[in-house]
This record gives sequence, C-alpha cells and structure tokens, in this order.
Amino acid sequence: MARDEKIQGTKIAEGLTRRQLVEMHACARCGECQVWCPVYVQDSRELITARGKLDSLRRLVEGALSEDDRKDFINALYECSACGQCHVVCPVRINTHDLWEQARMSLVNAGIPQPEGQIKQLSAIKEFNNPFGKPQSERPRWADMAWKAGLLKARVPLWKEQRTPVVYFAGCMASFDSGLQPVAVQSARLLQEAGVAFSILGEDEPCCMSKLKRMGDSGFIGEAHKLAEMFDRMDVGSIVVSCAGCFKGLHGDYSTMWPGSKKVLHFSQYLDQLIQEGRLRPQRETRLRVTYHDPCHLGRHNQVYDQPRRVLQSVPGITLVEMPRHRAFSSCCGMGGGLKAVSSEIQHKMAAARVREAEATGVEAIVTPCQTCLQGLLNGKKEASSAMEVLHLNEVLVRSICPEVTHEAVEAELARRFAGA
Amino acid sequence: MTQIELINFPKPWFLFKSAMALSLGYMVFAFYRKWRGWSRGIEEPATVSGNYGSVAKIWLAEVILHRQLFALSFSRWFNHLLIFYGFIGLALLPLVAVILGNFGYLAQSTTTPRFYLHAAGYILMKLWGDTFGLMLLSGLVLSGIRRFVIRPAQHTNSQMDVVLLALLFFVTLSGFCLEGLRMTFVPAEVARYSYIGRLFTLPGAYPSEQVRQWLTMTWTVHFLFVALLFAYLPHSKLMHSLLAPVVIGMNAAAEHARKDLYWPEMKKYRAPRSPKD
Repeated sequence: MARDEKIQGTKIAEGLTRRQLVEMHACARCGECQVWCPVYVQDSRELITARGKLDSLRRLVEGALSEDDRKDFINALYECSACGQCHVVCPVRINTHDLWEQARMSLVNAGIPQPEGQIKQLSAIKEFNNPFGKPQSERPRWADMAWKAGLLKARVPLWKEQRTPVVYFAGCMASFDSGLQPVAVQSARLLQEAGVAFSILGEDEPCCMSKLKRMGDSGFIGEAHKLAEMFDRMDVGSIVVSCAGCFKGLHGDYSTMWPGSKKVLHFSQYLDQLIQEGRLRPQRETRLRVTYHDPCHLGRHNQVYDQPRRVLQSVPGITLVEMPRHRAFSSCCGMGGGLKAVSSEIQHKMAAARVREAEATGVEAIVTPCQTCLQGLLNGKKEASSAMEVLHLNEVLVRSICPEVTHEAVEAELARRFAGA
Repeated sequence: MTQIELINFPKPWFLFKSAMALSLGYMVFAFYRKWRGWSRGIEEPATVSGNYGSVAKIWLAEVILHRQLFALSFSRWFNHLLIFYGFIGLALLPLVAVILGNFGYLAQSTTTPRFYLHAAGYILMKLWGDTFGLMLLSGLVLSGIRRFVIRPAQHTNSQMDVVLLALLFFVTLSGFCLEGLRMTFVPAEVARYSYIGRLFTLPGAYPSEQVRQWLTMTWTVHFLFVALLFAYLPHSKLMHSLLAPVVIGMNAAAEHARKDLYWPEMKKYRAPRSPKD
C-alpha cells in the first residue's frame, strides 16, 4: 500500500465524524439502496449505489483503493443528488446524504477537488452571491418589473425601507432565472391577496449558501454564521422561502448553529397557515386532476408532506392522485446535490422518469411547491416529450384566486419588460 | 428417567486451543485497529434528545423486530429473522450450558428429576441447539436460494457476500454432522429431542471406535470453521450484526434531537413493497 494513499486516507478519515466512520462498516450489503436509487436507474453501476460508495469510501479511508477505483469513486460520489432515498430505505438507517456531503468536504480538504462544473458554480456563489454570476443589483428586478406591469397589487417594499413582520426570501433561482421569476411574482401576489405585511431584502438578499454544503465546500460554516448573524440583527418574525433547497439550508442545515432557523418557513407551509386562518380563500373552481411531487429537501429531509397537499386540496375542483412513489419514497427529479452541474444528462433522464411516473397515474398535471424542482421537471417534460402540465403550487392557487397572474402571463409580461429595459 | 453418558472421543485440545487463541487474538487485534481508525474521526456532541423512550422504541422495532425489512419485503424479513435469531440462539447455547452446569443439571451423575430436564439438562440443550440451528440453517439455505437461484438484481454476490454465507453454512452443517455422529451413542428415547441432529445419523452400524474417529475429525473441522469465522468477522459483512444496532440507535437519537425523525412518517405511510421484490 502506497504511503501517500495511507496519508490521504487518514486525512479523509479526520474529516468525517466517528459515527460516519462506523457507518461505513455497518452496511449489511442488502442492496435496498440500489432498488430505490433514482440515479442508478439511469446509470446502473454498483458505485452509484450507497452500498458501492460506502465500500469504496471505506477502502479509500483505509488507503486500500487503487488509483483507477479512486477516480471512479470520486465521479460516483458527485453523480448523486443526495436525495436521501437510500437513507429512508436502509434497514441499518445509515445517514447516507449527510455522509456524502461530509465526504465531499473531507475529500476537498484532503486535496481532491470537486468536478469542474461544481467548482464553477461555487466560485460564482462566492464571488457574486448567486450561482448565476449576475450582479446583486439584478436580484430585485422581478419585483420592480412586476409592479410596473401591474402584476402586483402594490409595490413590494424593501426590508431596509419598511420593517415588516414577514420577509419573503425568493432565492437565487426565482430571482434571476427568467423562467422561474413568475414563482416569485406569484408568491408576492398571493401574500398581498392575504393581506400579509411583508418585504423583500432586495439587493441585500444573500444566497442561502446551502449549495456550498451540498457540494462539500468547507466555507459553508463561516458563510452560514454570517447569514445567521444578519438575520438575528434583523430580528424578523418569519422568513418565508420559496425554494425547498433554501428551506433545507436555512431551516435544516443552519439549525445546529442558529436557533432562529425555526423562524424559517417554506412558502407552502405559510400558504397553508394563511388558508387555515381564512386569510387566503381559493374560491374559483379549477377543474384539474393533479399529482404532487414531494421535493426531497422539503419532504424526506424536513418532513413537510401534509401542508402542500392541504393547500392543493383547498382549491375547488382539484383532484389529487398520488404517484406510487410519494412522500418519503418520492423519486428525486435530480436537481439536488449539485448533480446537474456534473451531469445535466442524468438530471434530465431522472426528471423524465418522474414525469412518466406522473403520466401513468392519468393526471393532467404534476405540481411541485419548489422552483428548483419545477425547473428540473420541466427539463424532464422536454426529455420525455410529454404533453402533461408541470406546475408550481402557486400556479394552482393563482388560477383560483388571481388568474391574471398565471405563470405564462407573468413570464410573457416580464420578458417584454426586460427586453424593453 | 434416562441418564445420559456424555460421549467421550479423543479431542485434539492443543490444536483447538491454538486455533481459538490465534483466531480470537486476531479478531481482538482487528477490532482494536478498527476502533483506532474510527477514533480518528470528528467527535460529535452527544445527541441527547431527552426522550429516551421514543429512541428505545425505535431501536426495539428496528433491531429486534426488523420493522424496516418487514415493510419492504416479507420474505427477506422472515429469512433474516431466521438467521438473526438462529445465530443469537446458538451463540447463547454455551451460556445455557454454563447456567445449567452451575445448577448441577449437566453433571453426568445427577439423578434430579425435573420437568423436561430429564437426563440432566441434556434434553433442553438438544432442543435449544436443534431449534436455533434449524432456524440458522434454513435461513442460510433460503438466502442461498435467493442469492444464487432467484438472483434479484440488487444482489451483487461479491466475494464478501459469498464467503460469509458459505462459512456460516459450513459451521452450522458441520455442527449438525457432529451431533448426528453423537446420536450413535444416544438412546432412542433421548435422541428424539435432537430432532434435526438425528437426521444426520449415519445409516448402518459401525464399530464404536470407527465412529469415535469420525467424531474427532468432524469436531476438528467444526471448530476450525468456527475459528475461521472469528478471524474473518472484523473483515466481513457480519460486522453489521454488531454495528447496525449501534448505528440505528445513534441515528434515531440524532434524528430525534433534530426533530426530523422520519419514523412516524414511515409508520403512518408504510413503505411500498420493495419494487424489485
């Protein structure tokens, strides 16, 4: 065994927790992870399974992995959406997704960097505070444009202008991606319809930095502390986030270092609360048979299953049909864990498989409450050449409450405005 | 009441003690190395949720009842339960012997008549050993059928999987062969309690000296397999039998502390059957 490999193995071990080192030896090799893995369906290599990765990681730590096997293992470690399905079905309950993220970080610290695609995205986040590499001045433009276009009932105030009990955190995807900006506009409009006093952070809205953790960047802890301090200084009542990834970051990942993480709610949870309180009343009938896609970061990772379903079912005319794989067994669309930055082809195929599963239930639309999943599923729809509608949860509500701001209408109007600007 | 003469046959004690000392010594050394390896990791703060009852409930359901496996596949659950409890039962057999011995039930000369402990505990030992041995052997055979005949896609049959299965099978089989040979010297009214071992009795009559030689040979093969199993254990997937209960407990406690315990969800919405099962 080469001395260098042993030294590197020791370094990697030092970056993992004791529990994780024990977990690598606890695998019963039953292969249940393989049965359920949505990536394995697309790329059927043993290394893709949790069993394969655990075995290779154990040998890597022991300095007993050959150079070729090491390369294959590193590729497989990043060719994973860290969806956590293997954790849920593992009879030994090995906390796989935490292990993959920690292993990525440990490998980077031992001198084995992430794949190029992820490095690019991480650099953009660190330099520009968003993965798109766009200036922060562009972040709140969706709100300005939507107000000017008459899509909102009032101008959305910035937190620094007006201290409101609720802050709406749109997230990078809905702020910068033109195809997803309607989600932010619809969220703001629904809050206005419910009479919620809210504001946005505008240019000061940071990236939640959760991608740093997903991709194993050791800068995550420092950045998270900075953001937690910022939110503490703001002393806001609730932070409502649109993206399941931001929710997993701010509510889940931050929980160990920030007690205020309890104030972070996902938009679907907040909508449910507003509907229960009678502040938001979906009254117009929307006849649609839909199925619901649980985002991994919302469902499996944070146990938010019921609230989005209640929101859906509060809309008159909506019939909810569950897919065979739902709730804790929901199949990942491939948008998590930095997988898309490594292989967009696999992401598209994973999402296509999910769209086909939805089609098989005979519904007209698949609905998700996460903008990142929405984008992923739209990729899948294209890949699967499906005619089925892929909708955000907001869209279903909007059709019942304020049909003038449908996704299509907002997207077209914003595109026109941005082109003019 | 029947008195049993424990069967005497020549035993290579030196070889036995050497093999056991070597294998157990190596096993302890290998565990020590593993322990040192794990100690290199980051020490996490203890995740005490304050609700030990809930964590204990999960632990019992997952470890003792294999709840997760039951939800995913009944056949695998049954199969693993046979191996798990068969193995535990056989591991406890020497303990039963010690307990019975301490109460005088295993002494050859005892005449204490007790409810089903006629023949001074011998019958209980036989019933216990044969029942758990049968469970283990059936579990291993079913595993072999599943792994090599049915061949579900998730079974890779790597060296690690095959060697352990074969080793456990030979340990159990040689144990029953040994018992079968012993039956030659046991009266029929007592032999019936070795209801599996007697199936391994040699057909026909052989001189007792010849049988004693075979007994020595089989006994040697049996303990050599056992010694091999001890030495292989730290490098085998049998490690999960020791570590899975630890991991299940630790992760349940951590999830409970983080308040993202998925167990209630799993309990409420039972897993769909494993799609490939």
